Amino acid sequence: MSTTALPQAERRATHKARNTVLIALAALPLLLALTGPLFAPHTLDTPVTAPYATPGGGAALGGDQLGRDVLSRLLHGGTLLIGSALLVAVVVTLSATLIGCVAVLRPAFGRLVERCADVAILLPSLLGIMLIALAWPSGGRGAVTLAAIALGIPYAVRIVAAAASPLAAAGYVEAAVTRGESTAYIALREILPNLRSTVLTLFGLRFVEAVYVISMAGFLQIGPQPPASDWSLMVRENAPGILLNPWAVLAPSLAIALIAITVNFATTALAPDTSPKAATRS
Amino acid sequence: MAALSRTAETGPVPAPAVGAGTGPRRAAHLALRVAGAAARRALMLVALLAVVFAAVEVLPGDAASASSERGESAADLDTRRHLLGLDRPLWERFFDWMTALPTGDLGTSARGQKVTDLLADPLPNTLVLGLSAFVLTVVLALVLGCWAAARPGRPTDRVIGHSATAAFAVPEFVVSVVLLTTLSLWTGWLPAVTVTGGDGRPVSWTMLVMPVLALVIPQTGWNTRIVRGALADQAATPHVEAAHLDGLPLAHVLLRHQLPGAIPAIATGVATSTGMLLGGAIVVETLFNYPGIGSLLAGAVANRDTPLIAGVVVCAGAVISLVLLTADLIRNATLGDRA
Repeated sequence: MSTTALPQAERRATHKARNTVLIALAALPLLLALTGPLFAPHTLDTPVTAPYATPGGGAALGGDQLGRDVLSRLLHGGTLLIGSALLVAVVVTLSATLIGCVAVLRPAFGRLVERCADVAILLPSLLGIMLIALAWPSGGRGAVTLAAIALGIPYAVRIVAAAASPLAAAGYVEAAVTRGESTAYIALREILPNLRSTVLTLFGLRFVEAVYVISMAGFLQIGPQPPASDWSLMVRENAPGILLNPWAVLAPSLAIALIAITVNFATTALAPDTSPKAATRS
Repeated sequence: MAALSRTAETGPVPAPAVGAGTGPRRAAHLALRVAGAAARRALMLVALLAVVFAAVEVLPGDAASASSERGESAADLDTRRHLLGLDRPLWERFFDWMTALPTGDLGTSARGQKVTDLLADPLPNTLVLGLSAFVLTVVLALVLGCWAAARPGRPTDRVIGHSATAAFAVPEFVVSVVLLTTLSLWTGWLPAVTVTGGDGRPVSWTMLVMPVLALVIPQTGWNTRIVRGALADQAATPHVEAAHLDGLPLAHVLLRHQLPGAIPAIATGVATSTGMLLGGAIVVETLFNYPGIGSLLAGAVANRDTPLIAGVVVCAGAVISLVLLTADLIRNATLGDRA
């Protein structure tokens, strides 16, 4: 007994330490993106150098298409992207968890949810975002955020429902049903506490997905409009000058990649079961 | 997920085991099953189109005001609204459009062109791009996933796993930018933009390399994880463990015993790639100036051009439905009779 228990405890300890490191690594770029504006050496919209100037002088990463400081715009450009992605992830995870819990307790409702998700999967999420955001031009970033929430929920519900359906047949849930507890009580007090790890993983994956969808929309110039500094918009705006100052395009691209990759690693590390089958991305 | 979705698929008549007998009864049963699955997919597509029609209608602004010129009077707008049929009720327009669909007529765009004409040139280009990317990502994912699964827990497995996790988090346009700087600007190996010839096709195949790679890299990350996960599930089954205990070579067990059982899960997982590939194609096409449906679509949404948007959605939805249907059939053929 003790010979097998010891390595297992050790492994659990190293696993925990590794997770802490991974979460810290993911938190660092996130924190930098959110507090970036405090460190920006220049203002957002004043030209400090020649258009597409190479790095040097007052601008560490050179100038963009109007000669504005790329580094300052980079430090400003993450706040809203990360902020809206966080909002999307929180709202999608919360609503999907609630809907998913009810769906497994009410089979008729569950089937309806399933059919809706089946239909939604036929619409590529980017197509859906274009549809909603461009047809509602005054909506701007809010429209993109709303669309990302609406399009993200069906998939997230399926994941929660898949994780919750074995729980719905568990003895303690059946006991609660025979006790005559309400659906809301069973969902919140019996099922939800056992879904913690699924919900945490879901939140991480939804965040990565939200960064993905919102930045793709930003790149297509849906959402944030030109004077704003937004990483995806910077990539789009400066793409014509990539020959002159590649950093104006590369720096925001790498920033998006860094955030997406670190958060995704932290999420995967948090997942109790590494089987990717439950991790359906829209 | 599987428990939730497999309700209406298994027919009432128990079919004979796979591969046993090819009598007319079995053929009829198979045809019925294929027809049923296809009908279900078609029904979903119709539901999606209804939602798209309604969404465009509910949102502020319409085709007439979106395509208006400066200084047009309200009366002019009303005339055009009438010409475009926008004063008719939504359900009537939807019904007309749906009944014309089976004849291959996708309607007329807000600018008066046939939608099928507008789609004729860019659609094949996007399909070429998407299909090459799809085939490449499936092959790569199978190779990488099997390679990782052959050495479970070893460094190769971990490196492939981590790279896959990193790759699938990165948006296609970010991959494109990195490819563009390395393969085109710094080395000059590939052309940076697509130049279109007189026939509406890219002039040279080298112009396809970077757009395809930009789509393949994130999707391969995704699909490799699916293949690896499905193989891991199979590795835990008794018959695979028995094969290992019998001392069969590792590669033999992996390809002959693990992979066949994993195919249904892989097919279903990989099918979800189609939507992501088509979505990514819209962005990649814009960046590389590739003549596909991406740019056409952006204009169509800005003009509130419902028939054109619906045309693109029906094409995208049909492609995705077809791939999902194939995945359904693969799952049915391998699992259906046992499940």
